[in-house]
Amino acid sequence: MSKSLTLKLAVNGASHELTVEPRVTLLDALREHLGFTGSKKGCDQGQCGACTVHVDGERVLACLTLAAQVEGRAVTTIEGLTPEGADLHPVQAAFLAQDAFQCGYCTPGQIMSAVACIKEGHAGSDAEIREYMSGNLCRCGAYPHIVAAVREAKEVMS
Amino acid sequence: MTTDILPAKVKRGDASDGGASLGSRLSRIDGPAKITGAARYALEHHLEGLCHAVIVQSTIGAGRIGVIDTTAADAAPGVLMVLTPDRIMPLKSATTWLDTPGPEGPYLALTNVINFMGQHIAAVVAETFEQATAAAALVKVYYEETDAIATYDDPRSGEGMALDHLAVSWGEAEAALAEAPVRIEATYRTPREYNVPIEPHGLVAQWSGDKLTVWEPSQWINGMSRTYAEWFGVPYENVRLVSPFIGGGFGSKAFALAHGAIAACAAKMLDRPVKLALTRPQTFTAFGGRPATRQTLKLGATEEGKLLSIVQTGANETSVDGVWGEPLASVTALMYATPHLAARQTVVPVNTVLPSALRAPGENPSAFGIECAIDELSYEVGIDPVAIRLRNYAEEDPHAKKPWSTRQLREAYEAGAKAFGWEKRKPEPRSMRDGHHLIGWGVAAGTYPVRRTAGEAMVGLFADGRAEVASSGIDMGQGTYTILAQTAADAIGLPVDQVEVKLGDSALPGAPVAGGSQLANLMTGAVHKAALAARDELIGLAISDPNSPFRALQANTLSVADGVISSPRGGEEVTIAELMRRLGRDKIEVLRDTLPETNNSAAEKHKTYTTITRMRSPTEGDYSLHAWCVHFIEVRVDEDFGTVRVSRVVSALDSGRLYNPKLAESQWKGGIIMGIGQALLEEGLVDRRKGRVINNNLGDYLIATNADIPDIEVISVGVPDFHASVLGGKAVGELGIVGVAPAIANAVYHATGKRIRDLPITLEKLID
Repeated sequence: MSKSLTLKLAVNGASHELTVEPRVTLLDALREHLGFTGSKKGCDQGQCGACTVHVDGERVLACLTLAAQVEGRAVTTIEGLTPEGADLHPVQAAFLAQDAFQCGYCTPGQIMSAVACIKEGHAGSDAEIREYMSGNLCRCGAYPHIVAAVREAKEVMS
Repeated sequence: MTTDILPAKVKRGDASDGGASLGSRLSRIDGPAKITGAARYALEHHLEGLCHAVIVQSTIGAGRIGVIDTTAADAAPGVLMVLTPDRIMPLKSATTWLDTPGPEGPYLALTNVINFMGQHIAAVVAETFEQATAAAALVKVYYEETDAIATYDDPRSGEGMALDHLAVSWGEAEAALAEAPVRIEATYRTPREYNVPIEPHGLVAQWSGDKLTVWEPSQWINGMSRTYAEWFGVPYENVRLVSPFIGGGFGSKAFALAHGAIAACAAKMLDRPVKLALTRPQTFTAFGGRPATRQTLKLGATEEGKLLSIVQTGANETSVDGVWGEPLASVTALMYATPHLAARQTVVPVNTVLPSALRAPGENPSAFGIECAIDELSYEVGIDPVAIRLRNYAEEDPHAKKPWSTRQLREAYEAGAKAFGWEKRKPEPRSMRDGHHLIGWGVAAGTYPVRRTAGEAMVGLFADGRAEVASSGIDMGQGTYTILAQTAADAIGLPVDQVEVKLGDSALPGAPVAGGSQLANLMTGAVHKAALAARDELIGLAISDPNSPFRALQANTLSVADGVISSPRGGEEVTIAELMRRLGRDKIEVLRDTLPETNNSAAEKHKTYTTITRMRSPTEGDYSLHAWCVHFIEVRVDEDFGTVRVSRVVSALDSGRLYNPKLAESQWKGGIIMGIGQALLEEGLVDRRKGRVINNNLGDYLIATNADIPDIEVISVGVPDFHASVLGGKAVGELGIVGVAPAIANAVYHATGKRIRDLPITLEKLID
């Protein structure tokens, strides 16, 4: 297992080369090797959703994805949700306005899920938002505010 | 003594000051960092030469290690060191949070004696996380196993030890109970519950000579620094603990724990910075959550539902090597007027990690008992559940026999019942339904004490006109950054966006534990005091400095608003920045603490910030200080499947004055949501053979998800309480959860006619 791979990852629109063991997850590659610490490690077993990123525009759990699996695919993390220097993404702005977080640790994953949830067309009602945001746990208990934020952002985005 | 008697003209940070910020619904000022991924949590601190430690935990529940074979692990790629009980450096025993001596030393963070399954027994340090994880799986352990007592339901665990300091009694409770015309008796149980903050515990530790820096999520910077310093025998000042963001704690991040000692040992032994993150399963045994509790309540009452006597006996699990008492009488002995009461409890040692604090330790399970029992009594005597609570309303603290400072509990019942529509409730169980759904409406009250410790804060005014607040107090989502900026802005007379707040670093002025829902009240008090002093110093310079345009004026006529200093007599108005420039000052910096002026030595401050010995009880002084709440909850129970859904929550809460209603409401709702999970989902499942926590992950230990939670309406019924705190607030963070589980259990009874007294309320208990 000590054999290393040299990978070229496209993260947030830029190409990054890194040499890692094949068993390195996308989450650890982002956090430990590339400095994208916005994606969080909450459970490292695909249960909490804190590590949610987009791969080719779809939400995936970075802790259950090997870094080597995403070569040649576009990875977007919370740091790359909007171009550098741009205003907040409507979902980010809505999370702030609705106070849809407290400790902030699940928040990047919630926001990445929310952006995808809206894009998937799964934000049609509060019940649907609740269902399609249930892969992201929040122990501080911001759920009703997350629903309000997704609802608000969806209106802004449509 | 933290609540200084304030002269009449002193600002209190309320509307009478003309201050616009405190009390407003400002969005959290640390929010932008959190929603963009810029906020750096402890384990995101990268250092040159960083190596990674992974812990190995015991796989037996009791016994000792015979042999640990590390041959394969030692030889695995990238491994730098395998720590075992025989290899780890012995540390000194650290004093406790009560300022009492710790166990006889030395302290070994890894031991050969196994007291519970999931105890740390080895740690592998390697160049990478993957290498350390792989090598940890190669550590072979041969045990000498003995029988484990898994839970207090094992008859061998016995009755336990009495905790006399938690016993409460007044009157002749047993005799009064025997004579009471109406008597009910029931036993209520809560399982082991876990904190599970989404950020797992861990740290980065780095030594430089005899100086230790620790990046670790912390609810108590100063207390944990003290422990690290004592463990390693270095001066307190040599430890720097940094924790600007904390990914949730809920009571679990207040103490330096064994894994912290292991990482700091490894860093010292290797002379390299070490990162150690507990895996999610390891977090279930690296520290304790709320212990399992059971309590038997006997209520005696008149036919009209007036309480005559309460007799309570309770027990909670503890570990075989320590005592954690979960105070089961804390609400029982406070909520209702009863002429007679007797409560006592024991702790029962079993093979578990020592239980610890989880949101409202004591009040939470205590309220589950008494708030279900009073509900049972309401049906027994045929009185509405709200009415019976008002009938037994305590006009003063029935235990301390002192007046309440404020108790807006009647107002809470009234406001909550109105908003919920309680008057439409049909009293009979199983009398409300919607198709297959049995509908139940339940109510329960909650309370949490106002705890008070002193703190200190630095407030600086800078040449650019901006202000800075600095404290080692922390923000794990309660909103500390935001409310302290609001407090300083109003006291100085600045727009809030001109105030920067620095928190969570032992290099900053000290603060006691962010626990017991005390931090907001004590820190707003300290910041208010320091900010007023900074403003006074500024005005003092303005009237005395020869370069000031105000040099001929009197101090008490100047005003500062929106960062501009002016005189009511007219004339020149200058900004703080302009005045600082004319004065030739870079900064004005003021440090203030809220210790009593007669007893504020450096040693006293150290004790205040690093132990809980200076925390004042809610009944010290002339009043009894508590926050209050009432929850009205609707459940829908599927008649065929027994599934319970919470469909509506209206809670009315009295936390005194809210420094920022937007953030306080979020905390209340967070507590209510944790309470919904507690009522319906959360339960540590323990293997009865060896005491393993079977569901030690977030897929099996169920916490509430978004889909479990309806809209929640919270109503503030509080009024400023200046007996409770300098600026009038009471407890917020731990209040919201108290009373939620009994309100749900009461609603489930109303829906189904089944009384579930054993949390969580799962479908098999309803359909058997």
